[in-house]
Amino acid sequence: MQTHKSGFISSIKAFVCDPFRMFGVVSLVLLLLLTIAPAKDYFSEWHGYQRQYLNIIRNRGDAITLRRHFEGGLHQIWIPQLGVVDRCETCHVGLTETSLADVKEQPFRAHPAMPHKLTEFGCVVCHRGQGGATTVNEAHHSEMAGEEPILPARYMESSCGQCHQGPLEGTPKLNRGRAMLSRYGCVSCHSISLPDGTKLEATDNPPPLTHIADKTTREWIYAWLKDPTSYSTSATMPNFALSDADASDISAFLIANSVPQPGDQVALPAQGHGPAADPAAGASLYGESFCASCHAAQNAAGNLVGGDLGPELTNVGTKVKPEWLLAWMRDPQKYDPATPMPQYRWTDAQLKVIAGYVQNKSNPDLLSNVHLQPATRAQIAHGKQLVTEYGCASCHEIRGVPKPDNFGPNLSRIGSKPVVQLVFLPDMEHSLPAYLTQKIREPRSFGSTFRMPRYNFTPSQVEAVTTALLSLTDRSYSLPLNLQVAAVRETKYQPAGQAGQIMTNLNCLSCHRINGHGGDMAPDLSWEGSSVQRPWLDEFLKNPNTLRPALIRRMPKFNLTDAERTTLTDYMMTVYQTSSFQRDEMPLTGYTPEQVEKGRQLFYSKYACQSCHMVNPNEDKGYIGPTLTKVGARLNAAWIFHYLKDPQAMRPGTIEPNQHMSDDDARALTAFLMAQKTGAGQGAK
Amino acid sequence: MPSTIDTYFEKLERTRMWRSIFRSGRGSSTLHNALAIQQNVFLHLFPTKVRKRMVGLGATWYLGTLTLGTFLLLVITGILLMLYYHPSVPQAYSDVKDLRFVVSSGLFLRNLHRWAAHAMVFLAFAHMFRVFYRGAYRAPREFNWVVGVVLLLVTLLLSYTGYLLPWDQLAYWAITVGTNISSAVPLIGDKIHFLLLGGNQVNANALLRFYVLHCVILPLTAVVFLAVHFWRIRKDGGLYVRESEPGTASAQPQPASEERK
Repeated sequence: MQTHKSGFISSIKAFVCDPFRMFGVVSLVLLLLLTIAPAKDYFSEWHGYQRQYLNIIRNRGDAITLRRHFEGGLHQIWIPQLGVVDRCETCHVGLTETSLADVKEQPFRAHPAMPHKLTEFGCVVCHRGQGGATTVNEAHHSEMAGEEPILPARYMESSCGQCHQGPLEGTPKLNRGRAMLSRYGCVSCHSISLPDGTKLEATDNPPPLTHIADKTTREWIYAWLKDPTSYSTSATMPNFALSDADASDISAFLIANSVPQPGDQVALPAQGHGPAADPAAGASLYGESFCASCHAAQNAAGNLVGGDLGPELTNVGTKVKPEWLLAWMRDPQKYDPATPMPQYRWTDAQLKVIAGYVQNKSNPDLLSNVHLQPATRAQIAHGKQLVTEYGCASCHEIRGVPKPDNFGPNLSRIGSKPVVQLVFLPDMEHSLPAYLTQKIREPRSFGSTFRMPRYNFTPSQVEAVTTALLSLTDRSYSLPLNLQVAAVRETKYQPAGQAGQIMTNLNCLSCHRINGHGGDMAPDLSWEGSSVQRPWLDEFLKNPNTLRPALIRRMPKFNLTDAERTTLTDYMMTVYQTSSFQRDEMPLTGYTPEQVEKGRQLFYSKYACQSCHMVNPNEDKGYIGPTLTKVGARLNAAWIFHYLKDPQAMRPGTIEPNQHMSDDDARALTAFLMAQKTGAGQGAK
Repeated sequence: MPSTIDTYFEKLERTRMWRSIFRSGRGSSTLHNALAIQQNVFLHLFPTKVRKRMVGLGATWYLGTLTLGTFLLLVITGILLMLYYHPSVPQAYSDVKDLRFVVSSGLFLRNLHRWAAHAMVFLAFAHMFRVFYRGAYRAPREFNWVVGVVLLLVTLLLSYTGYLLPWDQLAYWAITVGTNISSAVPLIGDKIHFLLLGGNQVNANALLRFYVLHCVILPLTAVVFLAVHFWRIRKDGGLYVRESEPGTASAQPQPASEERK
């Protein structure tokens, strides 16, 4: 052993001290190194994937075509305009081979159908990750140097939102998330600016608290603050996790801070109402007035039924004072000028019935455990301090508390926040989507000092909001102008004059859209004057009815006076006209039987209109489109003609197909439809 | 055949052009050999005469020579890396990624540069330990020791400035921390910090500044001090070999005083 060791040492000495031998060995090492370098290139990951791909396609029927398309080596998509260098196709070889749809194994799966070309945007613009890398780990997962790891597929719609600022047909999750950012008042605290310079505006219409004591009691405010969902499951107000004392102080401050306003309350009728009012009459008036189009209420099974434009009414009787409710029903705009609720013009008798019915929707258990001591001055002052600290005035108008600017962090570019800048909880996945999800689900889990309240969102809602937030990236700011697709902005349209006053009073624009302004619950009225005949409109306003068999009627009947109705009808017939044709360029009557007969044949055979529309109620089965049994008494001939020629030009977004009709066909069909005046199915088979 | 080649070379060496380049002429005398070294711009810094025992492994362990070797390797790989690298914020990191993923042998090139840099720092330290413990820093070599210390600082600065260039998080924070340390200098600390970064933050200016330092200013400084270092070796009597070392006793006393001019 000893000899062996000393022999070893001496051989080392002999080697080190002999420059020639050493030079030779060092040269050999260098040579070895120089062979390792190209060998590493050759045995790289992507080479392996390309060989695997060739093995997969070898035994397929279309092997020859696929082999011809295949080109070995590094591939990249280079788009200087977007700063894209994507080498993903080096491993994802069959991305554009639609015939590989049955291959489920990555990285060889074909890309699903998409609206853009691969060479137009590359891969990382949508999927994130590091396009320049050619190893799986680096391309998909690296993040420590500020790169973005690959985006999980469930948030993929967020990538569309980088360019498309408005809603898209193919991105329901993104649209929903964006609407929620406005609807749940997120943007009241967190300012979100868009690349076109506009800001997301809140649409939740939070009530002003200036006259709150006219409307409700301190006990109700307390219970609401403690847990909004106990009063209404659909509450958009989040839960601030207030202690009993804090909730009590805030409720004391809000009541003490409220100033009474004359007219907010009216004296109740002498004989009283409420339980005494006829519940059947109330339910029927509630139904006739289509309250449920905007307001939801829980039915016996516990399901929420109704629209979400107004607040949920399940327990509203527990909340509002009867005096206030009556005054509100009579004229809502008196209490809140910005309310979307129309003034219904109910008679005093109707008011008593409907107010009594609504007041009865109550749950006495809700407030049975709330017993508040009268508040001291110190408690009220503390309440005001809390209101300021929690930023209540970001959403609500509160006397003496100014609306804070930028109360929460600005989220305009939250989707590009590097992971290294985030603080994670233990055992949490280190990714931006996971962080956002947790922040929305349990904001206070990051520390009890955080002020952000908790929303009662379902997992799919959380996912939608996360998707919307992930779409707010740096990239959307650096996009070339030709790639920015701005959202269609609400105009500031307000109808003018006397009719305008009536329309504001009825809040027509809560449901109808006119000249790019208003809701989307009811038809767009921008060209209503060109579309319909005056007697029909007059009659409709007197007694609205549905035009489509598939829909329940939702337009409420307002008790308009004759003068009001005439003013409205005149205004709409005069002002809401399209400039693309003259309303009376075609006659309403006087079409020859031959024309009508030709139109009938076109209707039933060439264009098969009866699959969606009904002309003869006894024979036809179409129920998708409006019923046409009396269309000759409703629509103008010129409108029908131009609508048939190009439906989308007259009503953008309509599902009526554009049949590219000849003028003769359209004219004959118009003649046939104009003959349908009484609902008897004239000329129909 | 050999004789033909020899005659060919003889002819070549007699040409005017050859003699204008290699002026020492043919011959193998000591004077001739000395002239061959002295008249060569690359070699004239070195001692014209080196005794064999001085270049044995035992004398220096080749540590200084190896440090020079890594430096030359770094210059060559560094120049090749400069062909691919832009010192700009949007491109620096992706250029490094390009080197890693698509440039042929780019990863090898970058790794060679990196490991050579580590080796150079290690070898410079080892060289200095060897010089220190052997006492080679003593007169008349004390000035060369100081030059060596400067070269060590330049080496460390080269290593530090190169650290920022990949422009990843590691680099960013290392430079942030490093330059913040400099601002702890009394009175002028903030000025130094500002001067180093070309601003108050590690940003595009800092990247450009560090790039210029790393690729131009510091290598040139190193070359200048290396020249002085080698020149002083010659002036101070060649490589230091201690009297007690094997082979020294039989050797002639070093004509150090004579060669100091």
